[in-house]
Amino acid sequence: MRELRIHITLLTCWSIVAFGQSRQGTIAGTVKDAETRQPVVGANVTLRGSFIGAATDAKGTFRLARIPVGSHAVIVSMLGYQRETVEGVTVVPDEVRTLDISVRPVPLQSEPVIITASRREQSLQEVPVSVATVTARMIAERNNITLDDALRYVPGVNMLADQVNIRGSSGYSRGIGSRVLVLLDGLPYITGDTGEINWETIPMFEVDRLEVVKGAGSALYGSSALGGVINVITRETPSTPELRFRAFSGLYDKPRYLEWDWSSKPRFNSGVVVSYSGRSNSLSYRVSVGRTVDESFRENDTYHRWNFFTKLKYDISSTQSLTIAGNYLDRTHGNYFWWKSLTEATRPAESQVNGLVTSRRGNVSLAYKEFLSDKFFYTLKGIYFGNFWRDDSAGRVNNVSASHLFNIDFQATYDINRYNVLTFGVAMNYDRVSANLFGTHPGAGAAAYAQDEIAVTSGLKVTAGLRFDWQKVSVLKSTAQVNPKLGLVYIPDKETSLRASFGSGFRYPAIGELYIESSTNVSSIVVLPNPDLKVETSFSYEVGVNRSFGQMMSIDLALFSNDFGNLIEPSVRIKSYRPYPSSPVEVTGPVIQFDNVTKARIQGLETVIRVEWWKRFFSTDVGYTYTWPRDLADNTVLKFRPRHIVYTAGTFSWDQFRVLADFRYLSRIERIDENLVRLAPIVHGEQRVAIKLVDIHTSYDLIGLGLPIRAGFNINNLLNYSYVELLGNLGPVRTYFLTLEGMF
Amino acid sequence: MIVAIATLPLEMKRLPIAAIVLLLVSCDHGLEPPPSVEPGFGGTVNFEKGTWPPADSIVNLWVFASQVYPLDSAKIFAGLFSNPPTVYLYPALDKNLPLFVDSVSYKFNLPPGRYEYVGVLQRIANDLNVRSLKVVGMFGTNDSPPFPIPVIVSAFNFVPKVDIKVNFHKPPPAPF
Repeated sequence: MRELRIHITLLTCWSIVAFGQSRQGTIAGTVKDAETRQPVVGANVTLRGSFIGAATDAKGTFRLARIPVGSHAVIVSMLGYQRETVEGVTVVPDEVRTLDISVRPVPLQSEPVIITASRREQSLQEVPVSVATVTARMIAERNNITLDDALRYVPGVNMLADQVNIRGSSGYSRGIGSRVLVLLDGLPYITGDTGEINWETIPMFEVDRLEVVKGAGSALYGSSALGGVINVITRETPSTPELRFRAFSGLYDKPRYLEWDWSSKPRFNSGVVVSYSGRSNSLSYRVSVGRTVDESFRENDTYHRWNFFTKLKYDISSTQSLTIAGNYLDRTHGNYFWWKSLTEATRPAESQVNGLVTSRRGNVSLAYKEFLSDKFFYTLKGIYFGNFWRDDSAGRVNNVSASHLFNIDFQATYDINRYNVLTFGVAMNYDRVSANLFGTHPGAGAAAYAQDEIAVTSGLKVTAGLRFDWQKVSVLKSTAQVNPKLGLVYIPDKETSLRASFGSGFRYPAIGELYIESSTNVSSIVVLPNPDLKVETSFSYEVGVNRSFGQMMSIDLALFSNDFGNLIEPSVRIKSYRPYPSSPVEVTGPVIQFDNVTKARIQGLETVIRVEWWKRFFSTDVGYTYTWPRDLADNTVLKFRPRHIVYTAGTFSWDQFRVLADFRYLSRIERIDENLVRLAPIVHGEQRVAIKLVDIHTSYDLIGLGLPIRAGFNINNLLNYSYVELLGNLGPVRTYFLTLEGMF
Repeated sequence: MIVAIATLPLEMKRLPIAAIVLLLVSCDHGLEPPPSVEPGFGGTVNFEKGTWPPADSIVNLWVFASQVYPLDSAKIFAGLFSNPPTVYLYPALDKNLPLFVDSVSYKFNLPPGRYEYVGVLQRIANDLNVRSLKVVGMFGTNDSPPFPIPVIVSAFNFVPKVDIKVNFHKPPPAPF
């Protein structure tokens, strides 16, 4: 209690002290590759013992302004380079201390910085759960146009069309209700109406990295984090002006079989994104515009997209900053749900031939960050996410939906002492949906969370956290959830890390699941609302080990078990209902209704092995995930889960030339939803095979010729393998891409 | 890639080469269009002239194929929505055979299997109970009373001439 009082007193004093500091200086300089002497772009430069930091720009320069006078240590970290610490950097008032820092490349990078697992920066070794990262470089090399494309290469993750599965968590719920939470810069990014992820609104060109946390994460992030959390972290605004662009043009090859060759014209998938960043005193900004047109290899499946993104950062002082970001997508696409039949696998079913979906989606976010001391900082974030869409068929509007979602999150991180780091906060949300399918409904929620990371010994760290959530939707009775987490990391030596964790998750039913009502849906069966739906729950357990063998090899092995309860799925039943609200009589017949139908257990193992065969020359990555997904209600295999997932990548680098080859294998899905096939109906919808895909990505950096441009040539689905991810949806045929990316 | 492998030490060459060979060998072409013949059966439904009931007593009219016999209305709906189904309807659950015609030819595609009971099913009322479903025609023997003839559908085989007579005034004996 006495200690608590001291902390509160110190907190109050720190803010006064922070504002009172006037004796400040600046540290600036460049970061270069020790071997090539080329500037290192995007390196993190931080001041030890504080949260003050910056990233190097296109010229490898950085600037840390308003640093308190005295002696400091500057830390430089970057994926692929050895962490470098410059001790004894003396800062004097109103002067710029210049540093020229060289960083040594390391072939094996095992310590990327992760922020999602504990809501603060940690090295990967310190994280008690399995986490995968996807960097901007990987996204560019693979020419991933949307976020879901990038996730298709992450071990343990697979996509069922637009629904993401982490270690088999999600299955397929017909597009409604995601069991994986996506965050945009730490804030929930799930649509308000159907509770799904809209991948295309993520500004991929502005992504710095993706972090994929595997396992339940509701103890920190609340609803929807049953199976995992994906955090999309956008680039920081740079300290110097830069103009960047990426252009690509793709050509779909002919389908393997003549029966599927429906178009006499070549089909293209092309786009361009231009981004400009600048700085004026304390204000830095980034603006980007993107245009993509995908003619698709399938009929009535074209996509036309405009993307706008802007980010402004105002450094109020050395301890305060305000960031405002905005993102907007305008999209029109063909309403392709499933094929006509396997005989005409590139044509849509008759009912979808003239269908068109137009959508406008956008968000505005605001983040205020303040360091009250070098041990304590807080952030106040808010986001508005608006979604408007409608679908037309032959000029007739079928469905219209508008949803508005507001999220506010206050988080504080307090580095109490060398043994304890406390993270705590509160969050609130409000959403409102208005749609002919779902009706008009408001929803609101509030939460409070706290987590303590305790360094028990120098090698043993325990993390314990708890979150309380309260939610009310429309006129329904409010519900509350309490979700704990416990993590343990033991690092016996520099090359070994052992971890164990437990976490729980939950998901409130989406408004779409509670209130959907239609007598004219695509399957012609009446869909009824079910306001009695209960909250889905999950419990995740994991033990794992990460071991490096010098600079040659690293292995990560995890055993996991996830229990799910009250899983919501659409089911068909015979029921008496009123065909329309004022109907005097009830009729009896088959209806579709979302219901809490099952409980499940998914157990398995995952291993990720990286080998550097030749220093910075040739490396391989292999990820293998085995899952044993069981429906405990009827003791059968869970629907829509592949049992084996293998992702391999080989990278060859020579001078400015680079080749990346990917092979992905997903075993045949053992069980599907037969009723979906029958009632839709999807002709040949049961047809599916194992997925075996080979992609080749080559790039050449023209920097050696004095041009800051990288040219690339990619072939996706090299073997032109024919497969479905989801029932009746043929996967993309072989596609050739030319890409150009530059930065000035 | 070839350049990369060529520059590797001998012992290291084997692994990527083996991986590539394994990869190419293991890859078939995946899905392919089905043979032009889709499994199923077909024929003509002949309606006895002058026996059509009033329109308001025909909520639905289907050709049905059931893997089980005898059948009651509970089994029909259980069979329709079981996984996999044991009862199939033509043209679809929400569609009807043409009404008030003398005859109609049909082509019923369905999974391979042995269909013990094939006929025409009339739904006479919105309410669902044992009296709202009625078998009004059956693919059966010429015996009196007739017995159902099983239709065996194998993969890539279409069974023709599964003709069904319907007399709404003299339906076959209902097994429920």
